[in-house]
Amino acid sequence: MEPILECRDLTKKYGSKYALYNLNLSLERGQIVGLLGPNGSGKTTLIKLANSLLHPTGGQILINRTEPGIETKKVVSYLPDRNYLGRHMRVDEITAYYNTFYDNFSMERAAKMMDALDIDRRARLSSLSKGTLEKVQLILVMSREAKLYILDEPIGGVDPAARDYILQTILTNYNENATVLISTHLISDIENVLDHVVFLQEGQLVLSESVDEIRTQHGKSVDTLFREVFKC
Amino acid sequence: MLGKLLKFDLKYGMKIFLLLHGILIVISLLGRFLFLDQLNFNEPDAALVSSVALFAAAIIFLLMAVCFCTWMIIAFRFYRNLFTGEGYLTWTLPASGVQHLWSKIISGSILFLLDCIIEGGCVLLLVTGCNVTEAYSVIAPDVNSELGMTLSTFALILFVIMLISGPVSVIQTYFCIAIGQLFPAHRLLGAIAAYFISSFLIQLLSFGLQIGIGLFPEYILIGPTDTADQVGTYLFTTMGYSTVMMIVIAILQYIAVHYIMQKKINLL
Repeated sequence: MEPILECRDLTKKYGSKYALYNLNLSLERGQIVGLLGPNGSGKTTLIKLANSLLHPTGGQILINRTEPGIETKKVVSYLPDRNYLGRHMRVDEITAYYNTFYDNFSMERAAKMMDALDIDRRARLSSLSKGTLEKVQLILVMSREAKLYILDEPIGGVDPAARDYILQTILTNYNENATVLISTHLISDIENVLDHVVFLQEGQLVLSESVDEIRTQHGKSVDTLFREVFKC
Repeated sequence: MLGKLLKFDLKYGMKIFLLLHGILIVISLLGRFLFLDQLNFNEPDAALVSSVALFAAAIIFLLMAVCFCTWMIIAFRFYRNLFTGEGYLTWTLPASGVQHLWSKIISGSILFLLDCIIEGGCVLLLVTGCNVTEAYSVIAPDVNSELGMTLSTFALILFVIMLISGPVSVIQTYFCIAIGQLFPAHRLLGAIAAYFISSFLIQLLSFGLQIGIGLFPEYILIGPTDTADQVGTYLFTTMGYSTVMMIVIAILQYIAVHYIMQKKINLL
């Protein structure tokens, strides 16, 4: 099967500093992949490149065999690590916004998740708590029938109980041919849902292995291996 | 896609826009019926002159303030939609950078156009009372002679120039904000600096152009401007050249914004 995301000698430079250097990476379809690495390892740069928010200095990044652009934006559902919604909008307005722009957005799925979480659809986004806002953002992203979900710190700002709900939402709302790429520091929380992990350090690939391989070959959990590899 | 983007862009800030212009219309109506219609220009005295001067100053200030607020809505929307956290949603919509830019230019120009029409309508409402038009008819021949045309024609031409300058101002504003994005640590400051520097350069260019083609008042070709018809001729020749120059500059600024939006965006 063709990879959903492929990096070929991907390089991104900010001034004289390399954020990514000759990165070669291939992600298969139908997996939940953890994108892990310390701060400044190039995770966010890679995510931005995949979403066409940056342009590579060298090499190539392909999503569904296409360079990031209008066509790839139709199949990538992206959750940034910050509030990215217009705070002046109401929940139902932002839902309608998504429905207008994305052909693969399911109003029914969004409504179902919002009802399950008891989110008031007439509430202004500015009136929601940080945790509720993050849930709304995740609901919008997971209500799309995308081929690649890119989630940047999806559980970073919520309490442990909400984390479980969010992980459950991710697991139950993507189809088996889609890939979910999750970038987080909370490895132990997501370890059980991951199929594959990618370790980045100083813009280069350190490891790209399945979680099963890590457990059988290294005899360690992903969290333990991460702490060893990136020991300060 | 452009239509969808336009729809949401026009919606953004529309409530404030309507509120401000609603206030302007109400004040114009009150000014017309409660103040201007009550004036008697047949017996002018010092009190009449000073009250009219004060009223005119207040109205001009109000018109400028509403125009400035419209400009702020346009600038703020561009900055917020594309370069703050909201940019993460805007830039990941299945639309190209050019579509985003044109959506913002068209919607900004529509807001400016609406602003010009409403403000022009308010001015018309204020000055078309019988007492005002009768009082003006006394001095109309002198004014027409100075302008070389009737005041209504003069106002109409000014209005058309204002309409043309709308999209030009929108592009200049976007240019400054886009330039500000090239300074990640000081984006807002960069945009303000870009505005002042580009305005200064445009003024310099305009000044040089005026001297170069002999349009500077009483400088080379025009001669004294107090001759009949000379004020209007001078004003329109100057404005004509300025408009052409501004259009050329706007095209260059558009190319720069287009390039920055295609290649140099890096959201924080």
